[in-house]
Amino acid sequence: MPVFHRSLAAVMLAAAAMAACSGCVGQSDGAATAVKHLSTALTAGDGAAVCAILAPDTRLAVAESTGTSCPEAISDQGLTPPGAIRAVDVYGQWARVVTEHDTVFLAAFGAGWKVVAAGCRSRGERPYDCRVQAG
Amino acid sequence: MMRRLRDHSLGLVFGLLFLLALVGQAFAGHADFNARQLTEGLPPVSLGRYLTSASFAVDVAENWQSEYLQFFLFIMVTVWLVQKGSPESKPLDKAGGESDQEQHVGRYARDDSPAWAKASGWRLGVYSNSLGIVMGTIFLLAWLAQSVAGVAAYNEQQLSQLQDPVSWAAYLLEPDFWNRTLQNWQSELLAVASMAILSIYLRQRGSPESKPVGTAHDVTGVES
Repeated sequence: MPVFHRSLAAVMLAAAAMAACSGCVGQSDGAATAVKHLSTALTAGDGAAVCAILAPDTRLAVAESTGTSCPEAISDQGLTPPGAIRAVDVYGQWARVVTEHDTVFLAAFGAGWKVVAAGCRSRGERPYDCRVQAG
Repeated sequence: MMRRLRDHSLGLVFGLLFLLALVGQAFAGHADFNARQLTEGLPPVSLGRYLTSASFAVDVAENWQSEYLQFFLFIMVTVWLVQKGSPESKPLDKAGGESDQEQHVGRYARDDSPAWAKASGWRLGVYSNSLGIVMGTIFLLAWLAQSVAGVAAYNEQQLSQLQDPVSWAAYLLEPDFWNRTLQNWQSELLAVASMAILSIYLRQRGSPESKPVGTAHDVTGVES
């Protein structure tokens, strides 16, 4: 059974390793920085600054939850400053930042990392229950 | 030049078709990836970003590993197993590694035999199994690549659903890994079994994968 094959396995493995770059320094730093900005804004009670860090769909969900604007509605969501960062996981366009008091999910946008969900509580195998998340 | 192209047309055409299919997969996969990005309220990614994503890598690797497994198994299993009437099988009485005389190695090597076929010891041992070793190694590397890219793609999906990521070791026990693996394996094994059986009764005139059209069904190990 004459079959002619060329090996590109090494290239494939390298590509897979590159694609699987979890917690890559630049990506992790960006996600962690976004969470630090969130913490600073929450500590200062600056609703506009908090909303500026949220992803568009999350910002919209916050506004729709009270029928007002996001900066006005954010204080009613029960978000507290997340505290010190303990772990950052980055996979492709998504990141999870585990902090002292919170778990925050972020996604990559052109302008950088934005918070998709915050104030999240683990429910085991089920998705996290979050105080703020996209609808 | 044309003579050289013709003499290597099988490898060249399949190599070209492979590249065209890979490029097609890249564009189709990119469009599909961005459709999901929009569904999740995220901006589309560039083609370059997609080509270095875990999503693209795992889709490529899961198919590669199964194809190389298919040929590795076929190469190795047909050393010992035979199929009466199939041109994919050796003659029924030739099962096994065969004698040095039949394999033209060692002192039975011919003038034009490869150098390592004329050698003895480990070099002859390695060269005698080199096709299986290389195909099997590529299979294992591609399967490893599937698992490495797969866990990243799986975790990307997990995070998008506000769920915890898993480790590489834990991913090897996840249904996602085995679903990707086995759905490819079953199709490859079906294709091999079909080829071995159908070629007993069916013919393709001029193809080395078929018996000559007029050859009897029960003749084994004869190719055009």
